[in-house]
Amino acid sequence: MHVLAILFCALAALLSATTAVSFQLIDEENYGFPTHNPFQATIAGSPVELQPQLIGSEQIKQKDYQLRLRPEREQSLPSNFWPVKTLHYRLAKQKKPAPLIFIIAGTGARYDSDKAEYLKKLFYGAGMHVVQISSPTSYDFMAAASHYATPGYSPLDAQELYYVMQTIAHKHKNLPVTDWFLTGYSLGGLHAAFISEIDQQQQFFNFKRTLLLNPPVNLYTSVSNLDQMANVVLPELYEGHDFYQDVFDKLARYFERRGHFNFDQAILADFQNSPERFTDAEMAMLIGTMFRFTATDINFTTDLINRRGLIIPTGTRITDGTSLTPYFEIALLCDFSCYIQEQLLPFWQNVFQAGALEDLIQQTSLYAVSEHLRTNKNISVMHNQDDFILGAGDLTFLEQVFQDRLILYPYGGHLGNLDYVKNADDILEFFHD
Amino acid sequence: MTKPVLIAFILSVSASLSPPLWAETLEDAGFKTPLKQLEFTPALEQYQFERSNFAALQVHDPLELVNRHLYHFNYKFDQYVFLPSVRAYRYVTPKPVRTGVSNFFSNLGQVPTSANSLLQGKFKRAMHSTARLLFNTILGVGGLWDPASKMGLVKVKEDFGQTLGVYGLPEGPYLVLPFLGPSNLRDTTGLVTDFFGEREVNLINYAEISRRNPELYGLQIIDMRYTTELRYGQLNSPFEYEKIRYIYTKARQLQINE
Repeated sequence: MHVLAILFCALAALLSATTAVSFQLIDEENYGFPTHNPFQATIAGSPVELQPQLIGSEQIKQKDYQLRLRPEREQSLPSNFWPVKTLHYRLAKQKKPAPLIFIIAGTGARYDSDKAEYLKKLFYGAGMHVVQISSPTSYDFMAAASHYATPGYSPLDAQELYYVMQTIAHKHKNLPVTDWFLTGYSLGGLHAAFISEIDQQQQFFNFKRTLLLNPPVNLYTSVSNLDQMANVVLPELYEGHDFYQDVFDKLARYFERRGHFNFDQAILADFQNSPERFTDAEMAMLIGTMFRFTATDINFTTDLINRRGLIIPTGTRITDGTSLTPYFEIALLCDFSCYIQEQLLPFWQNVFQAGALEDLIQQTSLYAVSEHLRTNKNISVMHNQDDFILGAGDLTFLEQVFQDRLILYPYGGHLGNLDYVKNADDILEFFHD
Repeated sequence: MTKPVLIAFILSVSASLSPPLWAETLEDAGFKTPLKQLEFTPALEQYQFERSNFAALQVHDPLELVNRHLYHFNYKFDQYVFLPSVRAYRYVTPKPVRTGVSNFFSNLGQVPTSANSLLQGKFKRAMHSTARLLFNTILGVGGLWDPASKMGLVKVKEDFGQTLGVYGLPEGPYLVLPFLGPSNLRDTTGLVTDFFGEREVNLINYAEISRRNPELYGLQIIDMRYTTELRYGQLNSPFEYEKIRYIYTKARQLQINE
């Protein structure tokens, strides 16, 4: 009896040891990423000397192509939308047969945004064909590719991306592709997870590997956090001063002392060591502002395309010369949470199901594809312990779903360590045979 | 019974199952709650973002209708004429030649920079710019390499629009110039002055030569586009016009105050 009890305990201990969730945590001491402030890391990225060696632009054989997916919009959209009436994407071709990787851009970002360009160079240098695609939340995708142009419901956004990807594959069917890969950063990572599930059902690409880079887990948590950041209290700001003026005053004082004006990413680290440096609150405000502008663009574009009349009165005639400033001002008032309440939720209830906000959040977040993610060993996720788009419990969710396929870094904020040499190695290692 | 042995066995098994790199005991996987240290404005008092942006949208732009049409004209010209020419230029000329051409024209641009630095009373800057010009012209074979950069004299630019700004001339209404892009009344005046000033100084006889070889202007314009990183549409927003207007106005203020 006694022996049995001990054996039972031993078995239980063994079981708990084997089922205990374990993930790959990059050790703080060995990691070496120098910026431990999540906001500064997000804005400045990795110092130049700690970035990987990338292939030179001149050596990349690439071209921008366009797809005509919504011919009806060529007439119905105002003429000042001319640049986004077709969907542009970028393809970099290798000279010989190679795997092809799709890169899905993040919130509000176009196919040629800095991060997508960086990833392209990284993958192209490792011998892959690369296709860069705009986010469904980018205004060019909304106008040129999306049927409802009301982004935020991930299953639908992923479907539309999947259709675009298939069209691209069809257009370049003579390109010798050996394997299909998929990645996306930030919101694009969430999309990649949904696309991977669609592909498992439709078996068009049969992605060999899929990598999610800093995706939101609960989309509503992420957008609420970003909304909040634009409403941070700025204790140093004088009553009546505006935030941008404050930022510019600091920059002006700094450049005055330095003696010349030259603004690039490398200068930010130096700036953060100067007396004028930005506080955490100011950096959070800067990041929140960038995202809020994306919300502004989405608000305006979806209202215009669907003629909802919330921002632009229905029947307004807009030409190349029309001032959009008044609409800009109205659209600015509505952040992401407001967009969800005013446009996305009513749209979703109308077209998909008469559910509550909680149902929408559930279906549009990573939870909705957790079974797929749990059982597919060819999908991995990389994230940071100090990424502010996450909330409490999100990392636990990733840990339980991905287990050893979660690689977690101690620093980097939101994607600030994407161009750090260690991360670059890990990313390429994942796709390497 | 060999209890300690069993325990040791269990320990060794679980230890081998979890090498040190693999974490399993951290609460919420070690999430660092990065927003916790910040304070946020209560929902009803949120106005900072809106107020700042409304202020930023106040740029004197009485010619907005014309400016917007010119913005679209420039954008289209860029897409269909300018950038294809730059691509062709890149295709037909090897990189060292292009770099040489860029250095040559940017060196020429140092003439107005020196003059304007003197006019703004920035003697050190003027010395710096003049030194740069001399180094490059003498050592660099008419400026074809850029030795001054390698010697640590970082490129600085001063134009007459800035000089006027330093002396307190207001920027005047915002203007979009055909082909050239964002400007304002003061900077347009400066641009014209610099253009003629450059002709007057006649460094290495360039003004004279280019008068006889007008294709050099073409090369100068293509090079200007080649070295300018701005791409229309890059801000990726239906409100790009407003954003460029604001960024231009602010960047000029920074340059003037520096």
